[in-house]
Amino acid sequence: MNILTIPFRNLRRKLPRTLLLGLVFAVGISSVVTLNYLSSVVGESLEKKLTAYGANILVTPKTETLSVGYGGMQLGDVSFDIKYLDQTAAEAAIRSIDLDERISAVAPKFAILTRINDIPVGVIGVNWEQEISIKSYWAVDGTLPDREDQVLAGSAAATVLGLKVGDPVQVEGATFSVAGIIKPTGSEDDQVIFAPITALQQATGNPGRAHFIEVAALCAGCPIEDIVAQIREKLPDVEVTAMQQVVQQRMATIGFVKHLALIVSLIILVTACFMIGLSIFSAVNERKKEIGLMRAIGFSRVSVFAVFCLEAVIVGVLAAIVGYAGGFVASLELLKVLELAEGATLTFAPGHFVATLGAVSLLSLAASAYPAYRASCVEPSQALVML
Amino acid sequence: MLEARNLTKTYAGEGSPALDSVSMTVQPGDFVCITGRSGSGKSTLLNVLSTLLTPDTGEVLYEDMNLALLPSRKLDRLRGTEFSMVFQMHHLLPYMTAVENVCLTFMKGLGSVGTQRRNLAMECLERVGLSGKEHKLPGELSGGEQQRVAIARALVSEPRVIFADEPTGSLDKATGQEVMDILFGLNRDGITVVMVTHEPEYARLAGRHVQMEDGRIISG
Repeated sequence: MNILTIPFRNLRRKLPRTLLLGLVFAVGISSVVTLNYLSSVVGESLEKKLTAYGANILVTPKTETLSVGYGGMQLGDVSFDIKYLDQTAAEAAIRSIDLDERISAVAPKFAILTRINDIPVGVIGVNWEQEISIKSYWAVDGTLPDREDQVLAGSAAATVLGLKVGDPVQVEGATFSVAGIIKPTGSEDDQVIFAPITALQQATGNPGRAHFIEVAALCAGCPIEDIVAQIREKLPDVEVTAMQQVVQQRMATIGFVKHLALIVSLIILVTACFMIGLSIFSAVNERKKEIGLMRAIGFSRVSVFAVFCLEAVIVGVLAAIVGYAGGFVASLELLKVLELAEGATLTFAPGHFVATLGAVSLLSLAASAYPAYRASCVEPSQALVML
Repeated sequence: MLEARNLTKTYAGEGSPALDSVSMTVQPGDFVCITGRSGSGKSTLLNVLSTLLTPDTGEVLYEDMNLALLPSRKLDRLRGTEFSMVFQMHHLLPYMTAVENVCLTFMKGLGSVGTQRRNLAMECLERVGLSGKEHKLPGELSGGEQQRVAIARALVSEPRVIFADEPTGSLDKATGQEVMDILFGLNRDGITVVMVTHEPEYARLAGRHVQMEDGRIISG
């Protein structure tokens, strides 16, 4: 027997009310846990899906360009003093930033304009593994290349050049075979031929050089600008640009899911806190006689305050345990039913559970603080006389 | 032991004072009965003496300590050790057994009550004739038994003074007499008792009888 006996017994005495309050609070906590788990898993899933739709950071050498236009007609940019990136050094620098775990692909490009079958065409040297990882939307007739002597042809380029799968292609004196033809994508990829970057660099006498590097990064937990800033720090002499539209679209999608979850969670928690506060208020009014008695037999104001706060915290902790378990199970079931967790997994996080218990205890304490304070201010002589 | 000097107390919204320059002393071992009509100020005096109420002016001295100068935590400790209260209504917590109600005064912190204090509570219940009913809830006890549990609760802290506010007020005559017998017995054991009552018969049996009227002591 100690001070905890009083709130425990009181809660047991008013069991239906305790259960109802606990249940409502548990449902609130469960909703918050479910929303947070769902938003986290769906966010992760979305990240992976969105990353598949291309790069979002562009690393280019610093070049002087001049936009040429006249009479409302845009004639494009004229580049002069063309510079190259040192491919190996740039890739190593990008991979060495603090947020390197957020980088899913580093895809260097070496582009040339050449003639195939006497028709001018752009050939882009790429690293197959990295390129394919950021172009997972590519559908190919034939196979994706896995050798250094193979190329992929864009659909329009293949048509113009009359290329078929297995055809040989001469590029700057080097011979390649067409491994596959990319089905129409509606992008620039349709117009060009993709070749292995190393072979193209060798063929043109530019070993280790790249025109630009596309980086696929998605930073759900931090702004993309942080990644850009870190790359800039590592590569001070190059241009590092976030493709804002792509980035913002991705971040907005994930941000929306998370903000929605946060707002709904806050509303639920504030409502639950009000309920606890009102319940303790009601308990204080009902139990003034008991408070008066406690004060009369020597309970300090702090002890009386503690009795009512403990009552709220006990309900909160029990509700948190039940609510967390319920929320976790509900998340698992919802993810299965709604098929939202593609590419992401839901795992129990003990730290998250402990944090929830701590947060709920603090919230319960905060919600009950004012009514408990009112209880501690009850004048024993008045409380005992009024009955 | 206990001395009241020129106590005055006026409740908010009341025209006349509940206590009007009241002075009295209580010696160790006294059994003081305070009587008077309703509204005469006797309960107010008891509450002021027991530190439940602060007077507007005047002072209460306990063992030469001016209680008005003590911080509230010391007053709380005084009420939990030296002073005990018995009320007209027993004010037992309905969700605790008789022995738990008696132990309530030891449940102010996270420390466990312990076997020694629990045994002391059992002894107090035995002293008021409630052996075998330690684990009954208040609802399972008669009115007289409930009041006896309240007296046991007052005894368990081994107080020097018991303040009783009409302890027989809600009991029938026979049961009231049983309760008074217990209080007189405690007084014989050396505990000072200050009691408010309407019963002139009990006042006659007490060692000292203080009569009040309109907030003043008119005799005793």
